[in-house]
Amino acid sequence: MHCSSRCKDPRYFQVIFQAIFLLYGIFYLGWAHEGIYFLCYVGTSLATQFLLELAQHNFSVAVVGFRSKFFNGCKSAVITAFGLCLLLKTTHWYICVLAAFISIAGKYIFRYRNKHLFNPSALGIVATIIITRDAWISPGQWGSDIIIMAVVCCLGFIIVSQVQKLDISIAFLGTYVLLLFARQILYLGWPVDFFTQSITTGSLLLFSFFMISDPKTTPDHKIARIIWGALIGIISFYLTAFKFINAAPVWVLVILAPMVPLLDKIFKAKKFEWLHGSFSQKAKYFMYDSCKYTIPVKET
Amino acid sequence: MKRKLIITIVTIAALPILYSFCGFYVSKADGTLKNKTSQVILVRDGNKSVITMYNDFKGDVKDFAMVVPVPVVLKKSDIKVTDNEIFQRLNDYSAPRLVEYFDANPCEQVLMYDKVSDAVMSAPPAETEMKRKEGSGVTVEASYTVGEYDILILSAKESSGLKGWLITNGYKIPAGAEEILEPYIKSNLKFFVVKVNIKEKEKAGLENLRPIQIRFDSPKFMLPIRLGMANADGDQDMIIYAFTKEGRIETTNYRTVAVPTGKNIPLFVQKRFADFYTSLFMHQWNLENRRIAFLEYAWDVSPSNYVKCDPCVSNPPDYNDLKNAGVWWLGNNDDDDNNGRQAGGSAYFTRLHVRYNRNSYPQDLAFQVTPNTENFQARYIITHPAAGRFKCADGKKYLHDLKERRKKELYTLASLTGKDADDWDITLGDEENRNIPGDVSYSSLSQTYADDLTKTGSGAAEKILLASAFIVISIGAVKYTTNKNKTTFYEIPKL
Repeated sequence: MHCSSRCKDPRYFQVIFQAIFLLYGIFYLGWAHEGIYFLCYVGTSLATQFLLELAQHNFSVAVVGFRSKFFNGCKSAVITAFGLCLLLKTTHWYICVLAAFISIAGKYIFRYRNKHLFNPSALGIVATIIITRDAWISPGQWGSDIIIMAVVCCLGFIIVSQVQKLDISIAFLGTYVLLLFARQILYLGWPVDFFTQSITTGSLLLFSFFMISDPKTTPDHKIARIIWGALIGIISFYLTAFKFINAAPVWVLVILAPMVPLLDKIFKAKKFEWLHGSFSQKAKYFMYDSCKYTIPVKET
Repeated sequence: MKRKLIITIVTIAALPILYSFCGFYVSKADGTLKNKTSQVILVRDGNKSVITMYNDFKGDVKDFAMVVPVPVVLKKSDIKVTDNEIFQRLNDYSAPRLVEYFDANPCEQVLMYDKVSDAVMSAPPAETEMKRKEGSGVTVEASYTVGEYDILILSAKESSGLKGWLITNGYKIPAGAEEILEPYIKSNLKFFVVKVNIKEKEKAGLENLRPIQIRFDSPKFMLPIRLGMANADGDQDMIIYAFTKEGRIETTNYRTVAVPTGKNIPLFVQKRFADFYTSLFMHQWNLENRRIAFLEYAWDVSPSNYVKCDPCVSNPPDYNDLKNAGVWWLGNNDDDDNNGRQAGGSAYFTRLHVRYNRNSYPQDLAFQVTPNTENFQARYIITHPAAGRFKCADGKKYLHDLKERRKKELYTLASLTGKDADDWDITLGDEENRNIPGDVSYSSLSQTYADDLTKTGSGAAEKILLASAFIVISIGAVKYTTNKNKTTFYEIPKL
């Protein structure tokens, strides 16, 4: 908590941007009747975060570091919850509770080297759809007005550039859009507006700038990140264009998540190094967790 | 004030529908054949689809021909001719509805009664078969005679070949169709070409052409609307009736939005409900930037579900209707027990209404089945004033409430349709208002509040959002630029 003011934690921005999208949905796209679900997402995320953090601190709020870790985790929990609000649709409040629980619990369960494996919102979305069959992603819900694209890109750009992981967004979006362009315009010969409609859906852009760019669940090395982003783009394109699977990128993101540790291993030699390498393990861990997005990243 | 009791339900086919197909018409003569409103039944489960296309062709049947892109070569058993009746039944069942309420006079007593309309059922068609092949880049994959139609299934290597083939074989195709055909050919779609077999039609003694029903397996769940734009100017309407096992369908490449529903509207709209709904649809469509599919009805119509509508405007589709519509998974209807009510399987019905044109709809409609089983109906409410005199204290209060209510109704009307009271004949239904004081009448209210009623602009939310987005962007930009000069590494807290 005390760190946030110094860190200029970009997660605050992310929360604000996501809130704007949510408000846009509520006031402009008419999602007001889903308000209760949004509350369930946010409430459950925070509650799960609290309980699991508490469990890691021997069930005592008095343990040193609990408060700061919890408050710090809240930001991520809210981001995750907003991610669910913006992408996952359902008609039952308990599905929302389940989705939010899976998202947050997934961070604590699937871990590899102090890094959680799955993107929390993506895991929550995919797992909830598979388990309950009572939730769905609505790719058309944002419409495809070009203005939205412009705003999303601007907002997204600022966020990811602060987080310094614009590369993965560009790698994913670039690959996906290029392949789509090649197929729809060059090969099939559709008019340009056919193509622009495909790439201006809010869902795709939200995914690119707010989900895939999560620095905790992407490879550490720049090249690994670009490979990974491009791979998601290629597979998503294949599933979308030839298998007609909707919202393919979210599924691919979860399926490819186990590749991240592998890529981290392969690109070990050039791995990002935490600046304060000489610090004790404890200090490193603290830094890593409380200021994870703005921890100095320096390529060697 | 106590408002009381449903009394009548008005059955209105809200839309002036000129039914037709979703493909394009290929005229065999010089007549200008245009398709304006199409009706389609989609049945979908897994990768299996059944599509039924309504045929309301009004010209000389010799001139009728149609091309629909399909994902696979259909077998003869996959093509059926079904009955027009089913479309009428589904339209009646799911059309936007006007519900009437009658106020009780607080100074007197109440009466109530009910009224429901009914409909008829249908029978299956006959079939014959034949087969041949051809060259010139176009392959005749199959050729059948089904009911009164001669059907060819073509595959083509290039659009010019297909165009040439159609022209040599006596079909007239609309200008601009060639470039639209190209992407379909490259996507490996086949072309389902239909014309009328006059002999068969006469043999069967049919007056009107019947709908064609096709079934196929394909992961693609879409309707080709692009071809239909080749020979249509301006906007076209399409009503989609969909049946699935799980729940509603929605469009995946356009927004699906429920039409405003459950609104109290002024009494004088009653006799012009069709006009009202047409203006409402138009206005809402414009408000939503025209790229949109409207949800007009959604309900569980499983044979086992007893409440298939509330209120019902016509008999809900029964087991036989569902079978005719192509819902293949319902269990067998062995006995006459309640029209197959015991038959297994669930069926969820969705009605979507799309108004499309070339500019706003660059892509064909793609759909997905969702698990959403919430019921929905487009329902509008009018309330008749109480009859009699209002001399008692409650009666005075009633008149006061009535005035407020009518004011709201006028406002609702204006915001739903974009038209204010001047565009309607306010005097309609005036005879009911005999005992209502002048200042409570719609005409006097619409004059008194004329200014308020014309201010129907929304957009406040938009402005707030745009403003907040702008503020955040500027903060972000400022922060970003100021940060750039500083070191990106930050202080390490001392431990």
